[in-house]
Amino acid sequence: MKLRITASDITDPEELRTLLIDAADELAGAGCRILEPQLSWDGHPILLADAGLHPVLVSFDVAHGQAALLNGLKNAEQLAGTLAWVNQVYDFLQQQQRAPKLIVVSRELPPGATAILSACPNLSLFRYRILNVNGETGLWLERMSGDNAPLKAESVPAPAPAAAPPARPFVVAATAATDNDTLPSLSDEENAYFQQL
Amino acid sequence: MTSQINPAWRRRPASSDRLAKIGARFLSDMGDSEKNADFCRAIPFLLDGPSQEWIVSELCEVLTQKGHKSVVFHIPENAGDAQQAVREELKRQCRGCEYCVLPIDSAATARAQRLDHVVLLVPANLDAVRRAYRRIKYLAERDVPEIGIVLVGPRDQHAAWRYFRKLAVGTLRYLDVPLVNFGFLPEQVTPEHGPADQHRDNFLSRISERLIGSEFFQLCAVDAAGIS
Repeated sequence: MKLRITASDITDPEELRTLLIDAADELAGAGCRILEPQLSWDGHPILLADAGLHPVLVSFDVAHGQAALLNGLKNAEQLAGTLAWVNQVYDFLQQQQRAPKLIVVSRELPPGATAILSACPNLSLFRYRILNVNGETGLWLERMSGDNAPLKAESVPAPAPAAAPPARPFVVAATAATDNDTLPSLSDEENAYFQQL
Repeated sequence: MTSQINPAWRRRPASSDRLAKIGARFLSDMGDSEKNADFCRAIPFLLDGPSQEWIVSELCEVLTQKGHKSVVFHIPENAGDAQQAVREELKRQCRGCEYCVLPIDSAATARAQRLDHVVLLVPANLDAVRRAYRRIKYLAERDVPEIGIVLVGPRDQHAAWRYFRKLAVGTLRYLDVPLVNFGFLPEQVTPEHGPADQHRDNFLSRISERLIGSEFFQLCAVDAAGIS
């Protein structure tokens, strides 16, 4: 099947949330679990647990990387202070005492990330792109390392330099349903309903 | 206490009148062996794409391993509305089988064959859920069949439930069509897993047990009349 890949964009944070939840393995590693798809804290981050049962907070923003970073740092601190509560709610975390990991996802590297990234071992930054693959919306995630080289992208908006770890793309698999043309279209109300999970 | 289960999670009490008539006419006074000799239980699967064919084949194998002799029957692509020809072919290929699973590529084929039970294999992403909804909407334009859902590729049960709930609430709200949840195949279960993979077998077994337990099939006469 011929793949047609084009750059796309989204403005709805909930759509990005759905894509990030689908790509949780790319963010927190294989075997991670979703604890809360939408925490009611600033920025409504996602809470995951990685394969080692370590809480992982995913902070994101469709437009403002800085907001994602600042909200993420604040929420990570808040989460660290509420670990006792988290342990009560999620028995299987087995009384986790380690500070949570923080993952910040934004379209561009947030300003000031260089200094913060080198000072925070529990912080990871991901840059995202929205792709359209044969009509399907997909998410491309690119991890930014703490090395000097990739962080130059902060001031020069360009693809990640060679020193960066290999990009780990996540693209929703293109499907080949044969009857798209014959199917009825959706009403505005139905469309709105199916915009997000 | 009165049951307050959302209709989306309930199985509708009866399938079609046609099925009821046949049941009353033929099944009440037959032994099991006779039933198996004359009827085959057809389970149509509406695929999201050709890459899902392995699921139908594997389910067929699992059913056979459980003692329910099964066969995969492909409705010819050019069958169109030719139900009689399809019935004849099905009669020929499914003789002696208890179950026959039908992989179907398009909702148009399912509608043309007037199937009264259909299982949709729905990939776990929002676009696929939307497409499944459109297919259900299309099927519901005529006689609404019983519709079951298997989620393919969610990361875990929680994710599978969220996708199923999204679809089931939507079909109930806008189309008044309840859905039956037959479970999910997690993302770790792929065609690359060997046939002896225990993890894969567990999930496929669970789906097949639910299909059999809820009697989600369409009776096909393989010696007497055509598909009913």
